[in-house]
Amino acid sequence: MAIVIETKDLTRVYKTYQKPEGFLNSLRGFVNRKYDSKTALNKTTLQIESGQIIGLVGANGAGKTTLLKMLSGLVTPTSGDALVLGYRPWERKNEFLRQISILLGQKNQLWWDISPMDSYALLARIYDLDPSAARKRVEYLASMLQCTHVLHTQLRRLSLGERMKMEIIGALLHEPRVLFLDEPTIGLDIVAQQTIREFLEQYVKEKGPTVILTSHYMDDIAKLAHKLLLISKGSIVYQGTVPDFVAKANTELAESEEVDFEDVIRRFLETESRVR
Amino acid sequence: MKTSFVVFLRRNLAFAKLAIVSNLEYRLNYFVDAVLQPTITTGIEMLLWFAVFAGAATTEIAGFGREYYLSYALWGAFFARICTSWMYESRMIQEIDTGSINSLLTRPMSYYEYYFSQLMGYKLITTLVSMLVPVIVILIFDLPTHFKRLPLAFALEFYYLILVHSISFVVASSAFYLNKVHSFTGAKNLALWFFTGELFPLDLIPEPLRSTLIALPFSAGVYVPVGYITGRLEVSSVWQSFISITIAIVIVNSIGAVIWRKGLKVYAGTGA
Repeated sequence: MAIVIETKDLTRVYKTYQKPEGFLNSLRGFVNRKYDSKTALNKTTLQIESGQIIGLVGANGAGKTTLLKMLSGLVTPTSGDALVLGYRPWERKNEFLRQISILLGQKNQLWWDISPMDSYALLARIYDLDPSAARKRVEYLASMLQCTHVLHTQLRRLSLGERMKMEIIGALLHEPRVLFLDEPTIGLDIVAQQTIREFLEQYVKEKGPTVILTSHYMDDIAKLAHKLLLISKGSIVYQGTVPDFVAKANTELAESEEVDFEDVIRRFLETESRVR
Repeated sequence: MKTSFVVFLRRNLAFAKLAIVSNLEYRLNYFVDAVLQPTITTGIEMLLWFAVFAGAATTEIAGFGREYYLSYALWGAFFARICTSWMYESRMIQEIDTGSINSLLTRPMSYYEYYFSQLMGYKLITTLVSMLVPVIVILIFDLPTHFKRLPLAFALEFYYLILVHSISFVVASSAFYLNKVHSFTGAKNLALWFFTGELFPLDLIPEPLRSTLIALPFSAGVYVPVGYITGRLEVSSVWQSFISITIAIVIVNSIGAVIWRKGLKVYAGTGA
């Protein structure tokens, strides 16, 4: 399989304003500010093959979203390099942007004030798609996600689950070769989570895009991901398959103990929060 | 095979339509914005000039009679609304501040064109709707207006909008560094209230400030187009304005490109 994502020593350092509490410190900070540097991603080197779903797992603030944002071109690295489909993402070339899609579960990508169908018509123009082909594709994806009935309702009037389905259709309309999904099931009920999970599984089987998926629901990762990337304090600490990861964890435990994927991740995150 | 220019045009036409479609979703808000607000502004400004002439007990100021000033106030209020960008500049700033810009940065289009076409679409439809107000008042009060000059005046106004949007782009791009920059919009629009000639005709200001203000591109917002259609100015002033706007567009966009490029480097992809 071809390598579609490649990074070398990818690093991002954020500079943040540090303000001690209180009114006087606000006044002091008005003229003299103190900044702190935080390494969100530290010298990350990885390779990802095409057609796979990669589960990116880590505690809050571990660097998952920063990595995703760098690979999709939203954030420029402080140092290091990366190639996605042969393009440097942060140069944001149109040829590159036409082949990727990012879905941030906590942000709307579609237009709030208009119906999803109007949004898709606009996206068809942005990606230079044939309007009637785009419409057929919307109908097909909507029927897969069982949400045809809300296509003409203003986005702001939809429930969270319906909105997420609309966002997924929008993200897939131009058939991206690389898809970045940042917590696509966040806040959804079990049924909606399940629908989206099954949809993604079927879609990847059919179309074969490379998917980078972050989620705090380990079921998403365990059921969908071909490979796992475990990230801790800005560094990748594990790259491999989910079964290998669980097997490795079990060999490190006492003979009488056996854990599943969710247990291993929970233990890992608990350790993380203690040493943070 | 479609040329990239055709694709570009279609895409931008779609952005312009988006502005119209989203504004028409909220009918009452749009009615107040496109009809009620210009009516109130026009009423206030005309009343002001009635009061000035009544108080001064004179028939002329700087060589022009009351009807000329009423006509200036009427068209001035109308043109000032076209050449001011509050809504889209605020949205641009907010998108960078809150990180909503993420969904635009990852699509094959530019932030500049996306908002430029929306601004143009919105201004075009609002101009057509709100033009009813000055036209009705002009006909009722028989105020001096060269209707034949309107197309060139509108051409200048919409050309000036490119500069307006370019300035908005510079202001919004500074949000990459400073986050909250809404006060910049307020200060800038307050200054332009004076510099465009909305407050009063710029030729009432004494020299040497008068020539300087008229030579600046901002006079193309209100003073030049309104002066032209009300008969205060001739066509040569319009051509001069086209030239000064062009120079300003080049300068402002050069600054904008630098701020934007550097801003993206420090941008942390806020939110999510």
